Amino acid sequence: MNAVCLESVCKSFGDVHAVDALSARVPAGSIYGFLGPNGAGKTTTQRMIMDIIRPDSGRIEVLGAGSAAAAKDRIGYMPEERGLYRKMAVGKVLAYFGSIKGTPAGELSRRVPEWLEKVGLADWTGKKVEELSRGMHQKLQFAVTCINDPELLILDEPFSGLDPLNLDLLKGIVLSLREKGKTIILSTHVMHEAERLCDFILLINEGKAVVDGTLDEIRSRWRSSAVSVELAGETGFIEHLPMVAAVKPDGRRVEIALTEGADPQELLKALAGRVRVQAFEVKVPSLHEIFVHLVGNGDAQDS
Amino acid sequence: MRRILKVAWREYVETTKTKTFLFSVLATPAIIGVILYVASRLDPRAAGPQPAKRVAVTDLSGKLAGEIKQPFENYNSAHPQRQLLLQQVQAGADSANSAERAGKDKLRRGELDMHVVLDADVVAGRGKMRLYTRATKAADIDVVSIVRNLLQAAVVNRRCKLRDLDPKLLAEIRRGVPTEHVEVGAADQEHVRSQSQRIIGMMVPFFFMFLMFMGIFGMGQHLITSVIEEKNSRVIEVLLSALSPLELMAGKIAGLGGIALTVIAMWGFGAYAAARWRGLDLNIPLEILPYFFVYYVLGFLLFSSILAGIGSVCNTIKEAQGLMMPVSMLCVLPMVTWFALVRNPTGTLARALSFVPPLTPMVMILRLAAGAEIGMLEVAASIVVLAGSVLVAVWAGAKIFHTGILMYGKRPGLREILRWVRQK
Repeated sequence: MNAVCLESVCKSFGDVHAVDALSARVPAGSIYGFLGPNGAGKTTTQRMIMDIIRPDSGRIEVLGAGSAAAAKDRIGYMPEERGLYRKMAVGKVLAYFGSIKGTPAGELSRRVPEWLEKVGLADWTGKKVEELSRGMHQKLQFAVTCINDPELLILDEPFSGLDPLNLDLLKGIVLSLREKGKTIILSTHVMHEAERLCDFILLINEGKAVVDGTLDEIRSRWRSSAVSVELAGETGFIEHLPMVAAVKPDGRRVEIALTEGADPQELLKALAGRVRVQAFEVKVPSLHEIFVHLVGNGDAQDS
Repeated sequence: MRRILKVAWREYVETTKTKTFLFSVLATPAIIGVILYVASRLDPRAAGPQPAKRVAVTDLSGKLAGEIKQPFENYNSAHPQRQLLLQQVQAGADSANSAERAGKDKLRRGELDMHVVLDADVVAGRGKMRLYTRATKAADIDVVSIVRNLLQAAVVNRRCKLRDLDPKLLAEIRRGVPTEHVEVGAADQEHVRSQSQRIIGMMVPFFFMFLMFMGIFGMGQHLITSVIEEKNSRVIEVLLSALSPLELMAGKIAGLGGIALTVIAMWGFGAYAAARWRGLDLNIPLEILPYFFVYYVLGFLLFSSILAGIGSVCNTIKEAQGLMMPVSMLCVLPMVTWFALVRNPTGTLARALSFVPPLTPMVMILRLAAGAEIGMLEVAASIVVLAGSVLVAVWAGAKIFHTGILMYGKRPGLREILRWVRQK
């Protein structure tokens, strides 16, 4: 079952193609990451999923409905531009947004203190929103997004501007929500965040999908054929091995680039026969490297 | 619908809680009260003592000395705080020029406040009374007319004496006839109208129009502020994730409309209570209240849709005020012409302005409160025209609001806004 389905969605602002023939399927119960540089079209895509702006062409299905308009009560959306009524009391803001998202009043009187407790703002219930610090404001915004107990959460850059403690707090909440079967779509340009959290990843650049799939799928597709080893003894023979393309000293270690299609296991065997192997690591490409590789190339082609 | 009410309720509660709102609700009646109080204190009879005015009178006939003295003495004993110091200057008809010149010199030197020259044939013929003062200030005009009246009385008394007439007899003959104006209403009702009641009778329609104006236009300012605030605090996107733009706009308009009705009711009852307390006998045409309600609701819808559209495309209050200028100018028109409209509520001007949609509520309530005989057909037609324009304004306002509310940065031009309206 897919929580959200995009089919060749396009959106232009004037001459700028913000989103260009984008297709994606977000499986229910997963954390799905929209990754991409600034201006890639992440926010526009999320706004279109929320039916805040309409696509020029293409089809969007949200929670089985033809548009988010029909399912707004079951969705929580945290926009990139954070904003709440500054003059209202913290508890009242939370209750107000819950009520316009269709949460019954009785339920709210239970959930509001519960969520304020969860994000550590229980002592601030009666204070005005404008008195909160930036980090607190962000946590309140997150509580506002969750107050209607949504099946689908759409979070635009949810972790930007948070200190490590609050970052862990919110990440923990996001993970616990997935355990309860909620679907979470989040956008970020911080790769290691996505690496740690997301089940699925969609890499967007200039409005187009560059790559998508699970983290493992993407990694295996972009497996770099490099091995990092630490050896005791004479290493001069390595570059003459048949499966080795290049050797680069890297501090105490040596980084070995393998030839196309070579198996790192073969290299290990060849090394183990000649010298003591103290460390052997097949290098897994980080999302960051894949991202820079893919997007960087795109940029190079453009210029 | 439930959401619209939620938005409306928040708007109502949060707006009425702000200090600016409390200030604007209390300040308007307070300012009017202060103006009325100061105006009553400025009444000359209530003013404090003033320095005596030095008035020199040159009677070229030389025969009026006694007649002049008498009215001045009467005046001084009646007005202990505003004394006139009379100096009678003797001069013959042949020395008229030199007397005049001497008087002017004294005025210039500040030894006199006024110099009056009475021609020799002022009693029998067509001679003039010439009053000389320095450049008159607004406060001096009073003195000029007092002195003129006193001297005129002196001349008239002299004329009476020459004909052996008693001035008291003349005053008795010329005594006015007391009048009473009775208005006959339905079923034995009648009441006497005094002059002050006539003035009140004209002020009541004005007050109704003023309430309409404040309710529609004054509250519109709050709507613009509220829209721009939501836009600037970026809360709008969170709202739009829960509400459609139309629900949001409808909720805001309903909430502020409710506030406006509250304020109007407070001001209306407050003014009525104040008038009764001051002992004014008001004749409030209660039968126009349902009309007031209908015109108010339609007028508020019309304006607030336009203002919501304007607010949504602006980023600052300042920008919005620029765009509101034409609307404001139009609104002031009935305020400027109200006197003509009250005097002639069935005239061409009144009829024409009744069919200019933004003005309809104000002009119609003014005419109805003025007791004009307006045919049901005309009332119905004005409501239909107004309602039609409301539909257009809500439709266009909602489209502009929908697009404008998410736009930041440069304000779109008129051409672009028209393109949004034409979009499906």
